[in-house]
Amino acid sequence: MITLSGSLLLTFRELWAMRLTQAMFAVATLAWLLLSFALNMDVVEGSLAAIRIFGFDTSPTEAVRDAATGEWVQQAVSLDNFMIGINTFVVGAAYFLGTMLGLFATMPLVGGFLEQGRIDLVLSKPLSRPRLLLGHLIGVWITVLVLAAYLIGGVWLSMALKTGMWIPRVLWAIPIITVMFAVMYSVILFFGVSTRSSGLGLVIAYGLVFISVILASHQAMLPVLSPAAAFVFQGFYHALPNFAEVVQILAQLVAEEPVTSWYPLTSSLLFGGVLHALAFLWFVKRDF
Amino acid sequence: MPPIIDIRGLDKTYRSAFRRRPIHALRGVDLTIEPGEIVGVLGPNGAGKTTLLKILLGIVAPTAGTAHLLGQVAGDPGARRRLGYLPENHRFPPYLTARQTLDVYGRMADLDTPTRKERIPRLLEDVGLASWEDTRVGKFSKGMMQRLGLAQALLNLPELVVLDEPTDGVDPVGRRDIRDRLRALKQAGTTVLINSHLLSEIELVCDRVIVLHKGRIIRSGSIDDVARQNTGWRIQLTRLEPGFDASSFGASVDESGHALVLDSGDPSVLNRLIDALRASDHVILGVERHRSSLEAGFIDLITGQEASA
Repeated sequence: MITLSGSLLLTFRELWAMRLTQAMFAVATLAWLLLSFALNMDVVEGSLAAIRIFGFDTSPTEAVRDAATGEWVQQAVSLDNFMIGINTFVVGAAYFLGTMLGLFATMPLVGGFLEQGRIDLVLSKPLSRPRLLLGHLIGVWITVLVLAAYLIGGVWLSMALKTGMWIPRVLWAIPIITVMFAVMYSVILFFGVSTRSSGLGLVIAYGLVFISVILASHQAMLPVLSPAAAFVFQGFYHALPNFAEVVQILAQLVAEEPVTSWYPLTSSLLFGGVLHALAFLWFVKRDF
Repeated sequence: MPPIIDIRGLDKTYRSAFRRRPIHALRGVDLTIEPGEIVGVLGPNGAGKTTLLKILLGIVAPTAGTAHLLGQVAGDPGARRRLGYLPENHRFPPYLTARQTLDVYGRMADLDTPTRKERIPRLLEDVGLASWEDTRVGKFSKGMMQRLGLAQALLNLPELVVLDEPTDGVDPVGRRDIRDRLRALKQAGTTVLINSHLLSEIELVCDRVIVLHKGRIIRSGSIDDVARQNTGWRIQLTRLEPGFDASSFGASVDESGHALVLDSGDPSVLNRLIDALRASDHVILGVERHRSSLEAGFIDLITGQEASA
């Protein structure tokens, strides 16, 4: 256990020494301080009569269909919708931007971990290779979990205290963001271990995020593709991580709607699991 | 007492999809090192020295053969529990202080908190870094990094210390300190395996050397054994008369111009040379055994191997 704590401590210190990690914590702090102190709301009969941001007033409205006349009319935004909007924005930004920045921030960590002169030093310690790699991974995962909890938990708490509306399902975003980060990090880890180029892993991870945006439109795409192309498209859809489609799960959770399909998350988890297993196998077998 | 290191028929071949020819780094290496020995590993670049050390540490897997370390199979984490290692060109995370570095690597060496608290300040004191304990290692010179590396290797009071170029980049005073440290280790019964290009350093501290060439051990023995491959005689004269042909006896004139160095250790050749010198009215002041340095012996050994190949 002491040996594992050494590996964990090294990862935490390395991450904390990075300016980008510190910057991400600073941005998270800024986000919930902004919502706590710079945002004031006047709620009248469950609707937002006015919002004051940094002392400037605004009266947000939304278009709704009048039940009596059937016409679209502008009316004050309901507090429910406003909360869903704020939470969806924060969770969506944390998911996409946070994961992309997180991958960028942690990429040098794999390179540094495998650097000649450092890896042979840690491999000479009485620590098995799987345990060493596990210590590294747990360190990265815990840091991302803390960062996600700090941002989303802080925003959630701040908004709940301000409005009295407690929406606990928002907090599901914390583990989902963490596991999806782990799935994408497995790409960097695998290519880092097998080719000693974590930069290549980062490029491929970003490429997979881009491809997932295309794969997310599979329902619209499949009818217009030829049978062969549709088969290939389906193959990619099931084999690759569905990073972009997972955001729909997050949005449904935040809106307290039933989740229509967990498949994008479970298939992504399977992809991450397989890539992690391959990275471990390679790390155990290879010469350094 | 069982040997600290026991290697039998060790082979290592590096293969790569991008390389047409495999690289045979080690070929049938047999080696036994007894407790308490300080052994130097010599060899030209690419001889397989670092591969040999890395196989012992489990960093590289052998292609064939067996290697046992402290009674356990090399590569077993349990064997590394009683081992200290200083790699060549090691890199410590630059954001850690000297004390934090030893703390992190001490944890990885499975040392509990009280042990780390007791040993870290003492080791920093021993290697002359006590006043730098809270300085980030990114600001350290190469020599200071080597000293910190040595402290790291000794944290777990190892029975075997493996040092790859330990004096690389260290100033003369620092080198002397490291030599003293190695002698202290020997007195404490610790076995030390050193890989170094500085043969003068090896000569000063090692009991035994092994010479690797193209993946094979071509010589193993004491410093004298390796250096004495070229042992001959030195004849001190008042002056050397012009025209005397020393080369016909296999002798050469030394830098002073007043002595002849005979490469052959054969007494009959020495006597014939002395007879010739006296016949040509030379005054002989003295005759002594001449031993070449380890470096000269090593170069002769490698050159001889290259020539016979």
